[in-house]
Amino acid sequence: MNTVLKEENNDLVMYFEGRLDTASALEVEKAVAPLKESSGHDIILDCSKMDYISSAGLRIFLSILKSAKPKGDHVYIKGISDSIRAVFAMTGFVNLFEFK
Amino acid sequence: MVSPLTLDLHGESLIQQYRELLPTLKQLAQEANKQLRQALEEKDIYVTAIEYRIKSENSLIGKLELKGAKYKSIEDVTDLVGLRVITFYTDEVDKVAAIAKRVFDIDWQESVDKRKLHQLDSFGYNSLHYICRLKTGGPRFELQMRTALQHVWSTIEHDTGYKNDVKIPDEFIRQFNRLAGMLELIDDEFSRLRIVLTDYRRQVQSLVKNGRLDEVPLSADTFRNYLELHPFDRLNRRIAAVNQAEIYHASLMPFLSLLESFGLKSLGDVQNFIDNNSDDAYQLALSHLALTDLDILSSSAALLYLSMVHVLKCGGGRKGLKLIYDNINGESDANGMLADLMFEQARTLSFMHMNKESNDGK
Repeated sequence: MNTVLKEENNDLVMYFEGRLDTASALEVEKAVAPLKESSGHDIILDCSKMDYISSAGLRIFLSILKSAKPKGDHVYIKGISDSIRAVFAMTGFVNLFEFK
Repeated sequence: MVSPLTLDLHGESLIQQYRELLPTLKQLAQEANKQLRQALEEKDIYVTAIEYRIKSENSLIGKLELKGAKYKSIEDVTDLVGLRVITFYTDEVDKVAAIAKRVFDIDWQESVDKRKLHQLDSFGYNSLHYICRLKTGGPRFELQMRTALQHVWSTIEHDTGYKNDVKIPDEFIRQFNRLAGMLELIDDEFSRLRIVLTDYRRQVQSLVKNGRLDEVPLSADTFRNYLELHPFDRLNRRIAAVNQAEIYHASLMPFLSLLESFGLKSLGDVQNFIDNNSDDAYQLALSHLALTDLDILSSSAALLYLSMVHVLKCGGGRKGLKLIYDNINGESDANGMLADLMFEQARTLSFMHMNKESNDGK
């Protein structure tokens, strides 16, 4: 999985490309660390090029949400495919995130 | 602005003492503020504001001009440091006072409860003033305790210069008194309302505890109490067991409006909604999750699957499912896709065949 972090219009945008599964989770965990340390920026997780998300990926997204919420920052998930949206729906996480 | 030259020699000497004492006063203000804040926090007393100030030199000069002879030394001026606590309710003024008695030494001869000074037919500046000293010693300071409305009164009174040298016509004094009386009445009513609401919450908690759920109307307060019984845990654990999933805690309060949209009026209705739909909700969840290795689940999953089954059993079909997602997630076209997904999966389940006529994909 490839990740790229950019600052766009005062938002922090993380682009994901490929499969976010157990194999890539450790690397992605490190890549998203700056998102958790940031403050005063909304976070956009751009999943337009993400092919798959596993439980490990959900946990990473939840950890980003958990660190952003107390700071008053929003976490948006952008461009997810229907199959990934279905994962959020099946596990009941569909109302925790804001989708763009 | 008042010049020190307007003071007599004694007054000037007091001002000099004040200047020398200033660093001590600053430390005292900070320490008194810290001690009081800490004590209030320990007792879970939330107030609208705690503020402190050190009397400015100009303000002191003004005071000494009027009654300088009254003070032998600067330490006789008891309001060089002032703390003010503004509470929400009248009874909290007494609680703050009780805590202040514990934290500070109170000079009872100088302290005054202005709330008790009024004539039976007058209103106005209702505030409790204590003259205090830190337990470790040092200069005295003034602690004012009042409600937010008492604060409004005294701030406006100060702003309008009600107590200046010009004699105010009786009709304006009467207007002030009418407003003060009204504020006192409102303060009392707020306190009374709080007591009534606290009693109501206790009654609801007791009804919920005793399982008399039909008698409890569904509202934000009662639903919150009901959630303390963890009514969705059993189904969540059952669903989680499908993939030995971890359950991630999420607030269920956002689902209240969804339950209300189903026409559920009491906690008894919510309990029936759970009892009548749990097995089918489990089957629906199973049909989705068993085909995956997803081992994390939101604690809202049970409520979500229950809602879907309820809607489908009531003949809501695909449109009804979309409305669920619109309600909890905001309206979007993507919700239509989720509704399709859930609807297609549900079609394979037995409860749908019992309601076939009303669930033919409308």
